[in-house]
Amino acid sequence: MNIEFQAESVSIPAQQKLPILELRHIYKAFPGVQALNDVSMEVYAGEVHALVGENGSGKSTLAKCLAGVHQPESGQIIFNSEVVSFHSPLDARSAGISTIYQEFSLVPTLTVAENIYLGRYPLTPAGLIDWAAMYKSTVSVLEQLSLTIAPDSIVKNLSIAEQQLVEIAKAISLESKVLIMDEPTAALGLVETERLMELIRRLTQQQKAIIYISHRLDEVFQIADRVTILKDGRRMVTAPITELKMGEMVRLMIGFDIEQHYPKEHNAKTETLLQIRHISTENGVHDVSFDIRVGEVLGLGGMLGSGRSEIARAIYGVDRIVSGEILLEGRPIYCQSPKDAVALGIGMIPENRKTDGCFFNFEATKNITISRLQDILRGPFLSLSIERNLGESYIQRMNISRMALERSVQYLSGGNQQKVIIARWLFSKARLLIMDEPTQGIDIGAKLEIYKVINELTTNGISILLISSDFPELLAMSDRIAIVRDGRVLHITEANMLTEYQLIAIASGAGVTEDEQKP
Amino acid sequence: MELFRKFSRTTVAGPLVAFLVVAIIVSLATPRFLQAQNLANVSLQVATVAVVAIGATLVILTGGIDLSPGSTVALVTCSLAILVKNMGLPLPVGILLVLLLGLVCGAINGFFSTYGKIPSFIVTLATMSIFRGFAFLITRGTPIFSVSPDLEPLFYSKLLRIPLPFYYVIILYSLGALFLRYTIPGRAIYAVGGNESAARLTGLSVNGIRMLAFVLSGLTAAIGGVLLAAWLNSGSPNYGQELGLQSIAAAVIGGASLVGGYGSMFATLVGALTVAIVQNGLNLLAVPASWQEITLGIVIMLAVGLDMWRPTIARGLSHLFDKLR
Repeated sequence: MNIEFQAESVSIPAQQKLPILELRHIYKAFPGVQALNDVSMEVYAGEVHALVGENGSGKSTLAKCLAGVHQPESGQIIFNSEVVSFHSPLDARSAGISTIYQEFSLVPTLTVAENIYLGRYPLTPAGLIDWAAMYKSTVSVLEQLSLTIAPDSIVKNLSIAEQQLVEIAKAISLESKVLIMDEPTAALGLVETERLMELIRRLTQQQKAIIYISHRLDEVFQIADRVTILKDGRRMVTAPITELKMGEMVRLMIGFDIEQHYPKEHNAKTETLLQIRHISTENGVHDVSFDIRVGEVLGLGGMLGSGRSEIARAIYGVDRIVSGEILLEGRPIYCQSPKDAVALGIGMIPENRKTDGCFFNFEATKNITISRLQDILRGPFLSLSIERNLGESYIQRMNISRMALERSVQYLSGGNQQKVIIARWLFSKARLLIMDEPTQGIDIGAKLEIYKVINELTTNGISILLISSDFPELLAMSDRIAIVRDGRVLHITEANMLTEYQLIAIASGAGVTEDEQKP
Repeated sequence: MELFRKFSRTTVAGPLVAFLVVAIIVSLATPRFLQAQNLANVSLQVATVAVVAIGATLVILTGGIDLSPGSTVALVTCSLAILVKNMGLPLPVGILLVLLLGLVCGAINGFFSTYGKIPSFIVTLATMSIFRGFAFLITRGTPIFSVSPDLEPLFYSKLLRIPLPFYYVIILYSLGALFLRYTIPGRAIYAVGGNESAARLTGLSVNGIRMLAFVLSGLTAAIGGVLLAAWLNSGSPNYGQELGLQSIAAAVIGGASLVGGYGSMFATLVGALTVAIVQNGLNLLAVPASWQEITLGIVIMLAVGLDMWRPTIARGLSHLFDKLR
């Protein structure tokens, strides 16, 4: 069901008839994926225009095109009724479009004033920095936003919320007409979120346009005037928020694509392997409890920043558990570091295999045996011949390119690299494997091979904790799913009883009515 | 041909080629280089640097750096002199105690670089001064000569007409190479240097491994100190001032990367020999000392540069060959 809205039928703020920013037929492709496919959008001064979509829908690519980070292959960007072309973020900022990213672009060791005027410090006639003028301007900008931060505070001493406000002040001082906010409330608590909402309303009264990108649909309903929904690089609809119900929005976000065929085998036993009981960490995990059964794939479903990886880190001994306990086969375990977790038979395939997973100074074989070098000892020494044979056998078993035996793994494709890391935990006889985004950045053929490996692992009684932002994949390959939001587990259910729509609804806080809970 | 290709991909190939090139240049520059007596002298001179470079290699492999071995050497020569000459302890006991001292120095470096979370460059920069400072303290600034009649033979005796230091170097390097290739901590050193974050997530004790590297570096510095003391039969707080940088140069010319994870034992030996023959050549040509420093710096840059530029040069050459065909 595609809702088509004609431009005229969309109600717009009374003041303007012409949009301040317009995108017409934007196309942007990256190797292997068409990120933006004929996207058009209009933003008016004084409105809060929300941009929503699933992971991979193209919304961050769109924002980056507006921010000057990417250049579209075709299509036009029209700002202030002029066709513009941004070749760098500086172009976009100078033109009057500022972006406030999730990870701020402030220099932590400089003061608020220095950050706001970074790169354009006011100068005295002699050519030296005019500190007095800078501080004076900073104070006036901060007053416009009713902020009480001292202009000479060092940014790293400010709270996250205050830092974000400094970013916004920077945009104001640049006299930006359009502010793009990417997941602005991800790092904020309830009170700070309220303050941000008020600030946004005040900014719109000053005729600034806000493009608000967020996964949190309840906030979108709270603050947005209109919303554009993207899916798979296309615009599904732009409509005033009052004309959309939550249910429709979620339905448009996930669409009705052809179901991909996933080769899921069901090998979960009834016996429990791991029991997580009320664990909390200082890194955002709050009172989380769930069980993982032998041979089961337990999926953790949630939006970006929901705390899934943080739960994994707690189990793996990376983050310290401040309360609660974990029981492995009924016995309490205390993992103070990954070393303990590995010794207990837990393995982790990290989200970023390049920085945290692969040893680029080793070929595949050494990458595999590193998890349990004791197993290739012959007497007191490592047996390189045993190791070589092991390498050969894993290469064959996991269908990894033979080149992996001779050259550094940095030359392997992403899929092959991932298989090497999985082989590492097979070698160490892990009983629980934590997989954090295992098929990210991998082509479809290699993805299928990894799914087959997951099946092989569960057939052999190995349990998997699967974290994936690819919800169809998560739903298809998991036996049960725990939905995570804000570091809490909201709901655990059999995967085949959950639809993608329900998963998103619960994970994004949109809430689900009783009727909608039935499949 | 196949053997040649296999060899060219080992880590020691590049440094060996550089060494041969330098050796050829030097032998062409002066006929006195290839004389037996000269070569014997060179091998004696290089022994101390070579031994210290073993420890430097281990630390560099883990991604750290040790600037202090020269000062450890000074402290060890002075301590040995005091223990044996002034306090009358038997030589073997004295040697054992100063080897322990080396371990302690290494442990200090290691502790502050790991659990202390201070970058190893800063820690060893500080201990470079502190250790040498202690050497000055215990000797009141004056060298101690004629330590013991039993000390010199450790350096100058010959076995099968070859001076003992030759054997020390071969044995210690073999032990080092065996350690790196065939033991778990040796493999872990490469892992920690290659990707510290991945090493931690794979269950290795990153701090423990880096600590071990520093402790071993302290030990080899102490062995180097004993060797130096035996060579000169004396102890002085001024000894070994160049050893820190020379040992790092040896490792780097031998192909060790300062970011960690790349390098090998015997390649470092080749690197140490390269530095030694350059200095020897300059000495034989009676080049003034200032030029020697400059030349040494240039040699280090060229040797490492060639290794870094190898893929680019190879690509350029293959393009050239394609065009010529």
